Amino acid sequence: MNQNSNEKNFKKRSLAQWLFNPFKFIAGYQALLIGLAAILLTSLIGSLSNTHFNGVLDAQAGPEAPLWFFLSEGLINWVSLVIPLFFFGLIVSRSSFRTIDLLGTQVLARWPYLITAIAMLPDANRKVLDYLIAQYAQGHPAIPINHIDIAIFVVAMFVTILMIIWMLALMYRAYTVSCNIKGLKAIITFIISLIGAEVLSKAAILLLASRL
Amino acid sequence: MKVLPTKCPACGSQLKVRKLFCQECKTEIEGMFDLPRLAKLSAEEQDFILQFIKSSGSLKEMAKLLKLSYPTVRNRLDEIIEHIKNEEQIK
Repeated sequence: MNQNSNEKNFKKRSLAQWLFNPFKFIAGYQALLIGLAAILLTSLIGSLSNTHFNGVLDAQAGPEAPLWFFLSEGLINWVSLVIPLFFFGLIVSRSSFRTIDLLGTQVLARWPYLITAIAMLPDANRKVLDYLIAQYAQGHPAIPINHIDIAIFVVAMFVTILMIIWMLALMYRAYTVSCNIKGLKAIITFIISLIGAEVLSKAAILLLASRL
Repeated sequence: MKVLPTKCPACGSQLKVRKLFCQECKTEIEGMFDLPRLAKLSAEEQDFILQFIKSSGSLKEMAKLLKLSYPTVRNRLDEIIEHIKNEEQIK
């Protein structure tokens, strides 16, 4: 353990810390409230363009659905990851941790998807997607698209990829801070949890969709 | 007042006390004494422990005072506990 760097990091307050480790400053109920508000906004904006977050790391255009379905997707994704992380926290962490910190930091870690939902808002995204699907299915799409539509679509895809990476970094940080797990143990248990959460969230959302 | 060094600047080993001095009567005591346990910690760690005591041992209170989150403060405390335990094991 590098004691001096730990001490320097403990007092450090920088923009990078706020962007990639806001949990140093915010956790518990405060993070929970901000995170839930972000999920609500993401669901609202997502429902306007039918952007579904149908998996822990998934974001894609989908069919029309009621607002509660979009909101449920966000909540399922959050809880699906919290469950395995909680159990790994109990097993691996050498110190005790508060469940509210894990819940709060993990929900706040999902806020970059609010930016994805905004990036997916323009109609151009749907037009390009419909064009691509039609081209794949029929070979001769009848849907007209222009260069601006393609540019908007490319930007939206780029933003989505960036947000996924950012969200992953935040989720990992949220886990290490709230459960006090470091190093290889943290990386391995996080990856296993993420895979488990992806399967769990997909299954739960599919089950919910089948009842629509 | 200068900061009390606890580690040897040349090799990094734990320093011992060889001489104590009374400013009033100028008495000098020479010998080989161990530093008190808390004095072996770094200045930042000692500062953290002082603030912890001033906050009546409340991590929530400390988090508010330091404008940091509760788990960040708790993790720092765990690090210091681990450091103290390691020092004890070395001894």
